[in-house]
Amino acid sequence: MIELIHLRKEYDALLAVDDVCLTVPQGEIFGLIGPNGAGKTTTIRMAAGLLAPTMGRAMVAGVDVAQEPERAQQYIGYLADFFALYEDLKVWEYLDYFAHAYKLPESEISSRINEVITHVNLEIKRDEMIRGLSRGMKQRLGIARAIIHRPKVMLLDEPASGLDPKARLELRNLLRSLRDQGATILISSHILTELEGFCTSIGIMERGRLVRSGSIEQVTAAATTARLVRLTWAGDSAAIVQQKLKNDSRISEVNLATGNGAFRFSGTEEDLAAVLAGLVAGNVRVTSFGEVKQTVEEVYMRLSTHEVM
Amino acid sequence: MAGIWSNPEFVRQRRAELRPGRAMTAAAVVVLMCILLGLACWSSQQNQLLNLQRAAAQYGTQAWTQRLDVLQQNFARNTWLLFFRWLVGLQGVALTFWALFSCAQSVSGERDRKTWDFQRTTRLTAAEILTGKLLGEPVLVYFAVLCAAPATVISGLAAGLSIGTVFSILIFLAVVSLFLGLGGMWLSTLLESRSRGVGLIAALALYGFTLGLFGMHASGLPGLAAMSPLTGFVDLLGHSPNSSLARSSAVLFGHNVPWLLMNILLCGSFGAWLWLMLVRNLKRDYPEIRPLSRWQAVGWAAFLNFLIYALLKPGTEAHEGWFFDAKIVALFVVAMNGLFLFLMGLATLTPQERLKVWRRTTGKSTLFADDGLPWPWLSISAVVAYALMVWGLTAWNHTLPLESSTLQGAAIRLLIVLVFVTRDVLFLQWCMLTRLRQPVVKGVLFLALYYAAAAVVTGLVAVSSEHAARFTLALLTPVQVFDPEIKGIAFPGFTYAGLLLQIGVIGVVLMAINSRLVRPMRSRAAA
Repeated sequence: MIELIHLRKEYDALLAVDDVCLTVPQGEIFGLIGPNGAGKTTTIRMAAGLLAPTMGRAMVAGVDVAQEPERAQQYIGYLADFFALYEDLKVWEYLDYFAHAYKLPESEISSRINEVITHVNLEIKRDEMIRGLSRGMKQRLGIARAIIHRPKVMLLDEPASGLDPKARLELRNLLRSLRDQGATILISSHILTELEGFCTSIGIMERGRLVRSGSIEQVTAAATTARLVRLTWAGDSAAIVQQKLKNDSRISEVNLATGNGAFRFSGTEEDLAAVLAGLVAGNVRVTSFGEVKQTVEEVYMRLSTHEVM
Repeated sequence: MAGIWSNPEFVRQRRAELRPGRAMTAAAVVVLMCILLGLACWSSQQNQLLNLQRAAAQYGTQAWTQRLDVLQQNFARNTWLLFFRWLVGLQGVALTFWALFSCAQSVSGERDRKTWDFQRTTRLTAAEILTGKLLGEPVLVYFAVLCAAPATVISGLAAGLSIGTVFSILIFLAVVSLFLGLGGMWLSTLLESRSRGVGLIAALALYGFTLGLFGMHASGLPGLAAMSPLTGFVDLLGHSPNSSLARSSAVLFGHNVPWLLMNILLCGSFGAWLWLMLVRNLKRDYPEIRPLSRWQAVGWAAFLNFLIYALLKPGTEAHEGWFFDAKIVALFVVAMNGLFLFLMGLATLTPQERLKVWRRTTGKSTLFADDGLPWPWLSISAVVAYALMVWGLTAWNHTLPLESSTLQGAAIRLLIVLVFVTRDVLFLQWCMLTRLRQPVVKGVLFLALYYAAAAVVTGLVAVSSEHAARFTLALLTPVQVFDPEIKGIAFPGFTYAGLLLQIGVIGVVLMAINSRLVRPMRSRAAA
């Protein structure tokens, strides 16, 4: 649904985006993460047709954004990090303007406006002037604007920036419902917890390059050279555990305490099962044994400090 | 018309600007002003009548009585005429001023408010956005004029003016305000949000410039005065038979034409160029703005050249007027082409990013590519300008006899001007590749400094020898080519030496540009 092909953007002597290739299939929520200045906004702006790439192409729903901008825009819903609304319009007038600007059929416009207003919970503000809305309401209205034309693709650049926790939660729920309706979403954020449990895949950008991308499991696995395994046992078996683990070359960073411990393991699942079997066979009464899954934040921090690049 | 009425951008502006409360207030203010203006005009006429009655009673001569009779007979008509003139004058000022200034803040204002990107990501075409903004930004003043329209038409007809004249004035107002609106929109597109103040100053300068074009009615190109709102008012509202405007007329291909027609032709054609530039650039990101494509820029330069011959009013044999022989016309055309070529160069400077891509693909792309250096297109424009000069001067041969040496001399003059302009434009292109902030503005300032320095050096050299001063001037500036005493191609040797020197300088600038283009890129540091 979204295809970025060797995208490159230069500003003066600065390479803002360098050869970014990315495919986001339909129905995916792709989170673009990276520090400020990594090139996330530039990438999203190129995908939205707001910036012409120095080289490469951005395709949305099979349409080249630079070649057929007006056609491509019917598939794109875009929301910037910092934006403003026309404060001198009423809520419904604002949506009516964009419904017409996206050239929705005249007969559909009124019902679509009502539908979208309901979707973002702004029914009671329908006839209010925009200047009287709170920050969260304005953000919701911005999203309503971005979805008024039922876009197949949503491009959201740091949509939660500046929002309070409640508004952030509302935004999260709203995006979840959009995902459930089949929208493809490319969302950038530097607040990593915001994307966790929400995105189906992620890409990590650094210095204009997409250094890792794929499903969260893939990226986590690729970023993990040795898995962290934690175990607990009953009784006084620390010496046996130490002995068993020390003899295995795939095990490193063993850290044991009374009744529990952790180590790094670089083998397969089968090998890990064999380690557990060895402990049990050595009369260690294992009460828990398992891999500690890394969060996106941990993976990102390891990647950004070049631990695994 | 229905399309304009339902244009989403126009509807947005209309909704925001003409909420019932504000519209009713505006209408009430207009009606009140009409009433006050009407009373003021009646009072003024009444005073005049009373003064005449007093004078007639005091002196009792036939002359005073006759004047009183005439005034009494024409009292109503004169009052209506005075009212009509004031009404139209005020509307003209409000309409042109408001249209220009509201449009001059439209795009830069949206950039400032961060609403512009959302418009750019809609399915509205640039032409639709432009139409909506052009008619929508000044919608309040259009509404005010509409409110005053019944009073305007009634007072005009009551003053004895024909319906044609009344509507001509309204058409003139509409054409000028649309043209100024387009000019304002273009200024607004060129300015980033942080330079809105500069935009307002530029808009004020544009307004002053169009008003000042009124003075052109006494020039060799009188038709240009038709672009001034002042000309239209003075001509359409009636003026003294002895006024300077009455003694001149708009000339098109040697024929006198009405000022209104000339106004529509000029505002229409210049407006069409502005429209083209806006439609090309309105939805582009700010650094991507390039007013015209290379071919369009050549067309623009050709259009300006063509206009000189179309609007030219030959002088008389008694050396009255600007153009009393073909050689003067040729010199004028060469001088104007210096300006046209420089403007064309400015309009076609290639952004650094595009130029680098062009440089990397030099093997595949051509010298004449749209993203290449501007100099090949300046040369094409100069050739087109020369061809038009040959055509234009031949066409005017019946009034301004043409000698073959004039065309030969003009070719060399145009070549010298082209070389100097090419050098300057390439210097500006080089500035764009540096890290200067606002490189074009600074580049133009550097050029101004260079020419000022050249003038000072020439002045210093002139103290010792006039010949040496002429030599210095020819080496450093193109001023030498405007010496009317030089016949044909018999330029002094140092003129050609200056030409060769500047070609060498162009080579150096090209090398400097090339060295900038091959510099490696640096990646952005992680924040």
